[in-house]
Amino acid sequence: MEKKLSEMKYEEKGRIKKIDKSLRAQIAGMGIREGKDVEMMTKQPMKGPVVVNIDRANTSLGLGLADKITVEVER
Amino acid sequence: MKKVLLMGQANVGKSVLFNRLAGAHVTESNYPGTTVDFAKGRMRLDHEDVEIIDVPGTFSLEPKDRAEEVAVKMLEDEKDATVVCIIDASKMERGLYLALEVIEKGYPVVVALNMWDVAKDGNIKVDAKKLEQILGVPVVPTVATRGEGLKELVLRMKKAAPAEVEKIMKNVGVKSGTHN
Repeated sequence: MEKKLSEMKYEEKGRIKKIDKSLRAQIAGMGIREGKDVEMMTKQPMKGPVVVNIDRANTSLGLGLADKITVEVER
Repeated sequence: MKKVLLMGQANVGKSVLFNRLAGAHVTESNYPGTTVDFAKGRMRLDHEDVEIIDVPGTFSLEPKDRAEEVAVKMLEDEKDATVVCIIDASKMERGLYLALEVIEKGYPVVVALNMWDVAKDGNIKVDAKKLEQILGVPVVPTVATRGEGLKELVLRMKKAAPAEVEKIMKNVGVKSGTHN
């Protein structure tokens, strides 16, 4: 099933399917690109950032960015 | 005086490495026009005093905040500097991204694969020799907190030379213009 990264639930895992062109270069330095496995670690309240685990590293992303990333989630 | 810039992402051990290399000769500075602090120091390289600069951590050369802007500016201001790219050996991919960007700008680069012990404990195997062949720049495993590999790192700074991106792409089998 496909959903936005920002819609993933705590501990949900998936693989990044599509990243909006406008932010590809911006987040590549964080090791985030299409084809990478992600796990949702924390979601902060009040439209706060999400924390995802990629390559055993926790990375926080603003909700606005997470909205523009599509993930194929497991199950 | 020749300059050496230490560049890397946040939390890869830049400042630990810096303190090890610069010893006691450290001054804290402010980048002109900003509140971003950075440390400057001196070390001996090949019987010569060189200035060593602890550049603020940055994910990439496309700055996203003030500190990253300063990091990019410092690199651009020092066209003749040697750059030590510090990579967290347990987080290779994102570290390599920045290193490749710096190489692409034409700077002589040495890569320090820091936190070598952490990578090892996490069962992450990195072939430093192979990486060196691919990149065409010296690659040295280090554990900055324990001072391991630093001697070799300094020795090999002398051998830092600009590498060609075209060659690197050939080494990994990517034809130019085919990646997006």
